[in-house]
Amino acid sequence: MTKKWKKIVAAGVLCIGLITGLIVWYSVNESSSKSSAAKEKTLTVDVYDGLANYMGIQKGWFAKEVKDKFNIKLNIIAPNVAGNGDTLYQTRTAAGDLGDIVIVDTGEQYKELVKGGLLYDATDLYKNMKNVKKYKSAVKYINKSSDGVYGFPTSVSSLSPTTSSEGTDLNYGAYLRWDLYAELGYPEVDTLEDLLPVMADMQELQSTTDSGKKVYAFSLFSDWDGNMMGAAKQLAALYGYDELGFVLAKADGSDYQSIIDSDSEYVRALKFYYEANQMGLVDPESTTQNYDTLYSKFQDGQVLFSWWPWLGQAAYNTTENLNAGKGFMLVPIKDQTIFSYGASVYGGSQFIGIGSKAEDPERISEFIDWLYSSEGVLSNASQTQGSAGIQGLTWNLNDDGLPELSDFGKEALLGGDATVPEEYGGGSYSDGSSALNVTTVLGIDEDPDTGYPYNYTLWKTYQEETTNSIKKDWSDHSGGAETTIDYLKQNNQILVAPGASYVAPDDSSEISTLRNQVKSTIVEYSWKMVFAENETEFNSLLKEMQDTAKGLGYDKVLKVDMANAKDQNDQRVAVAKKFAE
Amino acid sequence: MELKKNPLKKKVKKKVSRDGKIMFLCIVPFLILAFLFSYFPLHGWIYSLYDYKPALGLSGSEFVGLRWFKLLVSSKTQIDQIIQVMKNTFAMSFLGIATSILPVGFAILLNEVKCKGFKNIVQTLTTLPNFISWVLVYMIAFSLFSTTGLVNTLLQEGGLITDAIKFLDSDSHTWLMMCLWNLWKGLGWGAIMYLAAISGIDPELYESAKIDGANRFHLMRHITLPALMPTYLVMLMLSIANLLNNGMDQYYIFQNAFNKTHIQVLDLYVYNIGLGGNSLSLATALSMLKSVISVTLLAVVNFASKKIRGSSII
Repeated sequence: MTKKWKKIVAAGVLCIGLITGLIVWYSVNESSSKSSAAKEKTLTVDVYDGLANYMGIQKGWFAKEVKDKFNIKLNIIAPNVAGNGDTLYQTRTAAGDLGDIVIVDTGEQYKELVKGGLLYDATDLYKNMKNVKKYKSAVKYINKSSDGVYGFPTSVSSLSPTTSSEGTDLNYGAYLRWDLYAELGYPEVDTLEDLLPVMADMQELQSTTDSGKKVYAFSLFSDWDGNMMGAAKQLAALYGYDELGFVLAKADGSDYQSIIDSDSEYVRALKFYYEANQMGLVDPESTTQNYDTLYSKFQDGQVLFSWWPWLGQAAYNTTENLNAGKGFMLVPIKDQTIFSYGASVYGGSQFIGIGSKAEDPERISEFIDWLYSSEGVLSNASQTQGSAGIQGLTWNLNDDGLPELSDFGKEALLGGDATVPEEYGGGSYSDGSSALNVTTVLGIDEDPDTGYPYNYTLWKTYQEETTNSIKKDWSDHSGGAETTIDYLKQNNQILVAPGASYVAPDDSSEISTLRNQVKSTIVEYSWKMVFAENETEFNSLLKEMQDTAKGLGYDKVLKVDMANAKDQNDQRVAVAKKFAE
Repeated sequence: MELKKNPLKKKVKKKVSRDGKIMFLCIVPFLILAFLFSYFPLHGWIYSLYDYKPALGLSGSEFVGLRWFKLLVSSKTQIDQIIQVMKNTFAMSFLGIATSILPVGFAILLNEVKCKGFKNIVQTLTTLPNFISWVLVYMIAFSLFSTTGLVNTLLQEGGLITDAIKFLDSDSHTWLMMCLWNLWKGLGWGAIMYLAAISGIDPELYESAKIDGANRFHLMRHITLPALMPTYLVMLMLSIANLLNNGMDQYYIFQNAFNKTHIQVLDLYVYNIGLGGNSLSLATALSMLKSVISVTLLAVVNFASKKIRGSSII
């Protein structure tokens, strides 16, 4: 009998032993990871990157360049890929280690991370960062709320804040398949809704792709939905509005709309998509697909309308398609005034920081500094921006001293993709491009080494080189304009929001909780409205959305957003005035 | 009499206390485990009293008292949402319970199959889905039922419909659909327990019934089924105890803007608010609701059990 008891007690003791063992092992493990490494060792740097659309170890030519220069391997952690909003950010910050390099939002996240001790104070390292130092005022602006240097600005520029920060095209615009539009005889589009019959005709002209897939005028996706349905917000940008919380604010400060008001640009956009869906113009897969799927549909020619040049044109305007006379071009809507982001002298809305638990902050700071050098800017082409790449590989200076794309560069950048030579790391060029997706210095800024912009689409050699029938046809029907931006400027259809680097102050926790509940309601109902059966259902869903949002405290949040939007405008006015002097 | 009894009582008491100590020592490890895994996590409730920000830690976050609890009942819409979520939770749990008899029937029928090879194949094929994660189940559902999936394509090719039917992104019969998926995944697995119970039935019962002239359906109805009932009732009890824990992975995977109203069960709602919506403190307050309801349910069942059976569960 007692023997049996002993056995049971022994089992119990073993159990407890196991648990303590686990705890001890865990804590030992925890402390050992802090020990620093020798400098010769390859450093794998975890980059928590709020902008990245790729998760995993950086591959290809960019990886090789970084490895050769700094012996650093980049392990990119992308909340955009992981999905589920802030889940990754929260779990990682709660664990006390967000990443060795952190690319997140200025403002609230900056303050929170500094206060929580998750960022490394790089004051001493900053002294040696000669490239970043060129943007002193932006660094100062980013770190204005703390004593040290915890973050480095992104999207910095030395241009005036009232200049568009975009290159040859704005960030937004109605980009349509120009070949089909031409076939219809260039119908006039007076206002947004006039696009619908045009799109319907275009879809009829080409109802299936060469590969036999069904073509739709519009295809939507939901991954980027935030305070509202992303696809609907894009249309508001055609009229000069940008979002700030639940407010659509016009770039020049002349109008502020609450998005759920029945007469807002947002509801107008929802109605637009609803009508498009009634006409059979909306891809039924819109509800379930993500951006990657959509992008490959564009590549295949399954979609006819793009909100951005960097979607439609980037995916479809390959040399092959252009030579065949097919491609996306801006179709002007007569009453549009497209929103444009002014060059932000103080940097964009993200910053780059070093994590407080980073193994070798010095080496990391050297890497970050390099990202601001002309070599770094050219290589770290943000995926949507189009910097030129490595000199000698994708481009070179020609006999006149002008930068010009090499044959390889043309194949890789204009032709879709190319295989990189082994000495540069091998693999596909586009797979090997920087997955950081962060713009350190704007592409339209001048490269001090060549005297020309970083962005190859702005080079004279490129513009001469790439004239093709589509572009020529477009130009002929656009008053001879060379680029989209020329055309829009001539017709006074741009509304530049001065780059004030405004960051909304922290939401109080109550507001942020209310906001989160309200925004998921708005997004949910917006999708339902677009796919409503009929007009009655559309209207009743709209009413339901307004009631539910208001019931959840929409008005309280809106009040905060309105005040912020007005502050933002004050800062824009101020910065424009300051630099005009 | 009392004087006489006293020394005896003392002796008994002494013996009991020594045995009791050993007994107690024996259960100590399990008490510790229960404490670690069932009671210790309760300290997390404290987060509901703070304005918790992960980057700052609990000590750096502001103490806000009952603010989140007040927020939960602050407006009619908030309350409506919680009621809708509770409706979903109960509806899907009850559908689950109502269909829990199906594995019994399946086991009985499967048991009647005489061809061993066929029986094994059926059993393997129906058990297998249980080991597929919900993520993969959704992949299967997506490739079958999406607007360009197999079913829609077949129907369209066959000329039966012109526009694709929206199986996944619609809100019609959400509860029922979820129940069917659950059933597809769990039927074979649920039957295993009953198949084991069937093999434990005394064969003599069948033999004597046959001699008395019973046919196969009589055997099933009057021997197999009654023999399975105790097992079934135990399983039923267990599932009632888990009424509120109807999992969230299934609903999490299947949710989208269109079916959200009817698919959000309590666990999913807590997740969406806490991690999806960045309000961990509010989510904590909300999840405490679950404990309150569970305790209430337990009390009700206990009371019913006392009335009906004459003995309580706890």
